Amino acid sequence: MTTGLLKPALYREAGSDADPAHPALLGGACGCGHVFFPMQNFGCERCGRTDLSPRALTGRGRLLASARVHLHAGKHRHAPFTVGSIALEDGPIVRTILVDDGVPFQAGDALTATLVDVHDADGNLRRDLRFQREA
Amino acid sequence: MTSTLKELRPVYVVGIGMHRYQFMSDTTYIDLGLAAVRAALADAKIEWPTVQSAYIGRALLPMACGRPILRHLGASGIPIVHVENASASGSTAFRHACIEIASGLNDVSLVLGVDKPMPIARAESLTGIGNLADDAIAPFTHFALLGDQYASRYGVKAEDFALVAVKNHRNGSKNPFAQHQKERTLDEILGGKRISGTLTSLQCTPVGEGAAAVIVASEDGVRALGIDAARAVRVTASVGRSQRVYDNATRYDAMLTEETTKLALAEAGRAPADLDIVELHDAFTVEEVEYVEAMGLCPDGRAIHELKEGAFDIGGRCAVSPSGGLIAMGHPIGPTGVGQIAEIVRQLRGEAGPRQQPNAKIGLAHMVGVGAVCYVHVLEA
Repeated sequence: MTTGLLKPALYREAGSDADPAHPALLGGACGCGHVFFPMQNFGCERCGRTDLSPRALTGRGRLLASARVHLHAGKHRHAPFTVGSIALEDGPIVRTILVDDGVPFQAGDALTATLVDVHDADGNLRRDLRFQREA
Repeated sequence: MTSTLKELRPVYVVGIGMHRYQFMSDTTYIDLGLAAVRAALADAKIEWPTVQSAYIGRALLPMACGRPILRHLGASGIPIVHVENASASGSTAFRHACIEIASGLNDVSLVLGVDKPMPIARAESLTGIGNLADDAIAPFTHFALLGDQYASRYGVKAEDFALVAVKNHRNGSKNPFAQHQKERTLDEILGGKRISGTLTSLQCTPVGEGAAAVIVASEDGVRALGIDAARAVRVTASVGRSQRVYDNATRYDAMLTEETTKLALAEAGRAPADLDIVELHDAFTVEEVEYVEAMGLCPDGRAIHELKEGAFDIGGRCAVSPSGGLIAMGHPIGPTGVGQIAEIVRQLRGEAGPRQQPNAKIGLAHMVGVGAVCYVHVLEA
């Protein structure tokens, strides 16, 4: 049995056409050329148009910055953990948790999306998206 | 046709008052607010019934906190406006009071910033648009990431950012209204509790409570009430902006600061080199480094070097956060932007005592707030 995704509105297991090997991020694009993440239908942040189209973004990017979080107040998240700013190759910059392999991250590191097991707020096993150093 | 603040009737800050910023206590918000307002009235040497309107900056207290405070001065029936604009709530309240005076609608207005820590939700979390990281990236981690990005860009070390905290805790130690009033060594700051990235606890603003008040008036108001014009400080620019889509999306705070400051200095007819004092939103050390560059106080990548040279010390080229800034003076949210104005007025009058920037004539106040918004004011003696 496949474990469900924690946030199926944000990513999917199947990759994009350009990168079938890694989970795709579910972004969007506007006719003005603005590519964004995640998909929304309220209106384009750059030009205000509402004819927005879903676009599966590749799960590949470059690390802009990382930080080891030592203190966190959330009940369901336990420090320490490492987060990063990732410039996706499709344009948007996303921030999320990194799979920390113990080797210090460097700006410019090539990263790829991956799904890892986590527990949701009710204790159920789910898979959530992380970025890890490219193998 | 539109006008800038400077093109309308001149606006002056004629009274300032503070309740010390402090860790959460049993002090009621009524006591906090009244202490600041009564001090501002006493400073201006005017009576409460002469004040024609009130703007209240708050972000944490529940709705309509203004009248429960102001009624204890005598319920005069004046209009009361509550302003919530995240960290920039007080700055925004100040701007709108200035606009009211500049427009000629009234001659004397009160701005009060008051807050106490309370649990709040951010509207951004209720949009229905998902977020990969959820709560994993708290504000301090947002700035830890920016610090790492800056460090990679310019090759600076963790201890370099901590020098901002050394300076601001030194300034705060001379400020009786500051939440932290203790000088700290670089070792103490680096050895504090690790929070996120290279940030340690003393490099982060404390959460607290407090109040700040200022009274703004027109020239007619100054004359009619017999206010000492020599202690009045003119507001020569007021600009508010919000975040656009930037090429470098993660540095939106700095880019928003750059464009807002540029507009404010143009409105005042001044250049960055003219500034004697800057009070800025240094909730985390990297912010001061980013913002002094964004404001044009030094070239990109030179902030740490200039900091080490003492350019931003009291007595340096431009004293940055002589109050101690958010890091030492504190950041009770609603009061913070108003407290910056009070500090600049005190400095421009030459009344700042041991933290006085010599010959200070021009000051700039800057706040950013989540959303994101940015407010900048220029004041001149």
